[in-house]
Amino acid sequence: MTMKAPSPDAISTIMANPSPDTTADMPEIVVQILDLTPKGSSRYMFTANDGKKKLKAILPSQLTPQVISGEIQNLGLIRILDYSLNDIPSKSEKYLIVTKCETVSPALEMEFKSGVKSEETGILLKPKQEIEINSEVKRESSGNGIMLKPKQEMVTKSAAQIIHEQHGNMVPPARMAMTRRVHPLVSLNPYQGSWMIKVRVTNKGTMRTYRNARGEGCVFNVELTDEDGTQIQATMFNEAARKFYDKFQLGKVYYISKGTLKVANKQFKTVQNDYEMTLNENSEVEEASNEAAFVPETKFNFVPIEMLGPYVNGKELVDVIGVVQSVSPTMSIRRKSNNENIPKRDITIADESKKTVVVSLWNDLATNVGQELLDIADQSPVVAIKSVKVGDFQGLSLSALSRSMVVVNPDTPEANKLKSWYDSEGKGSPMASVGTGMSPSTRSGGRSMYSDRVFLSHITDNPSLGEDKPAFFSIRGYISSIKPDQTMWYRACKTCNKKVTEAIGSGYWCEGCQKNDEECSLRYILVVRVSDASGEAYISAFNEEAESIIGCSADELDKLRSQLGEENSYEMKLKEATWVPHLFRISVSQNEYNNEKRQRLTVRAVAPVDFAAESKFLLEEISKMKAS
Amino acid sequence: MLVYGKTTRDMDTSNPAAFVNADLLRLYVGKRVRALIQVVRSDGGSVVGKSTDDGQIIVKGNPPVPPTNFVEVIGVADSDKSIRAEIWTNFGDAIDTHNYNQLCQLANSDFKHLFI
Repeated sequence: MTMKAPSPDAISTIMANPSPDTTADMPEIVVQILDLTPKGSSRYMFTANDGKKKLKAILPSQLTPQVISGEIQNLGLIRILDYSLNDIPSKSEKYLIVTKCETVSPALEMEFKSGVKSEETGILLKPKQEIEINSEVKRESSGNGIMLKPKQEMVTKSAAQIIHEQHGNMVPPARMAMTRRVHPLVSLNPYQGSWMIKVRVTNKGTMRTYRNARGEGCVFNVELTDEDGTQIQATMFNEAARKFYDKFQLGKVYYISKGTLKVANKQFKTVQNDYEMTLNENSEVEEASNEAAFVPETKFNFVPIEMLGPYVNGKELVDVIGVVQSVSPTMSIRRKSNNENIPKRDITIADESKKTVVVSLWNDLATNVGQELLDIADQSPVVAIKSVKVGDFQGLSLSALSRSMVVVNPDTPEANKLKSWYDSEGKGSPMASVGTGMSPSTRSGGRSMYSDRVFLSHITDNPSLGEDKPAFFSIRGYISSIKPDQTMWYRACKTCNKKVTEAIGSGYWCEGCQKNDEECSLRYILVVRVSDASGEAYISAFNEEAESIIGCSADELDKLRSQLGEENSYEMKLKEATWVPHLFRISVSQNEYNNEKRQRLTVRAVAPVDFAAESKFLLEEISKMKAS
Repeated sequence: MLVYGKTTRDMDTSNPAAFVNADLLRLYVGKRVRALIQVVRSDGGSVVGKSTDDGQIIVKGNPPVPPTNFVEVIGVADSDKSIRAEIWTNFGDAIDTHNYNQLCQLANSDFKHLFI
């Protein structure tokens, strides 16, 4: 029976006899080789293991070929035929020089430990080991040392112990480069421990600084895309931001690991992914050297300048392209939120619609691209800008965000068309700013008549709208009727507009101003019926809006009402107001009336229909219909 | 007994006119079309117009006097570049040609069934 185990107490035996006499009877010394590593270029060192004790050891150079050929293996057994034990000068340890040995066994399953009980189960891999249970084995044998197979005792092992035994002799993971296991982005989730992804940077935001209650900070994010096309946004703050800002370059491919995932904030969602990633200083980012940098062609969906109206103050970002007319110098704007100064530059662009629009560039865009544009401004370069916000400053204006991308003189058919138009015709033509003539809604808090546009049926079909707080919508409708015999107005104080009561004697008393006045004004408070293609609704209107609808003040209408004669000018006036289209900003709230919940609609703002803008809006809606 | 007949100009739905621009005109040669054009110049008997897709359409006939900058003509396309106008309508001096052009395209593609 071959003993595939080190000699019991082999190390102790060696320690007891540092310089054996080769001629003497040398006891059987078989040790297991652990941690076999090359030392220098010619020798190997290892740890000799007998199951109980370990000893540092060296194989001299004449034995190196045996290691290289695989005869002497890590975890294998060797019978030491000649050796010497030396002291390590500076330490109290000793080390063994094996001058002569012979191989007993190739690599064992694992590091031999005496006291470990083996089970004869399928878990253990071949070769099946007959491991001694104890160093002090009771040898029920005759004198010639035949080892009988000791009784196997079944011992339960923990899963961790079994795994350790199984993997104990496995080669430690080689360098990252060779054993990378890349996870597809789509498989990432916050609950998965360690992962590594291989992604390309398809968009890189600018570095932003911020200040909050905890102090100052800086942040930037990148858009990452993997081979399958899945995208995810990764954000880095402070230390991590500084660490990785220069490392991440647009178009290059990186191996990334040790980031964290969390559910994406839908409000700021930029890519289609339920999760977003955060990288900190411990995250690992390694450039994939064998991947060529490829900046994916930015897909633009240009909106002509004159068609920007419907997007004002909306959530949707737009792409624009135009010929640069002018570039402003850099301005420093103080941000209200944290009193920080950020650079800004305004550029004016024009397109074939002969309309111009101002685009505000911030931070890096202002200083870098902005400067570039200023330098070449006299060449009338074409600039394409992706993802800008449409605002109502000065009628209509565009503002870049950190995720906006600016491309100067792109080589695309649109750019070429624009350039040739400009060179032949546009250069000399008079241009008008797209913002002139656009009136931003004042009363409705700056929202345009194109945001939250619905049909009346959307409101009337949904009785629960406006339950907690008023809901706001825009509609386009016609006044279908105004009842002539309703209470049209109330008597109002000329100073504060509050309702006045008839004073004892003459005049009117205002409770708010605490004074009497001979005269009062009349202010509208009426209900009109509004219809659109989907249905109709009764909507309350107050003074300013009602004046727009009827076309005269309440005082004037009252005069008409009291006119006697054949011409019923009062009713005529009301009739003339019907079947006129308007754009309305409506608020919807809930009222309780006789224990019944009712919707109450109120006009907040009225605007005439701009048919060109409205047509554009409808064309947009039609194309949205087609797309879905 | 005198009977006074009243002439009314009804909309002729029996022979609808297709919305065209310069590009679409060639699809309707010999057929009834309508187009919005910007008057570039008129010389005896015909008007050179710029279509809403920036092409050129010759319109034969007599424009209204005085014509505004933009005119809509309804008539029969007698070639892929010209229309023999029956009806001329002044459309004013400023109009959004892009919208009209989109209408032409929609009326000749996805929504053709609503028009012809």
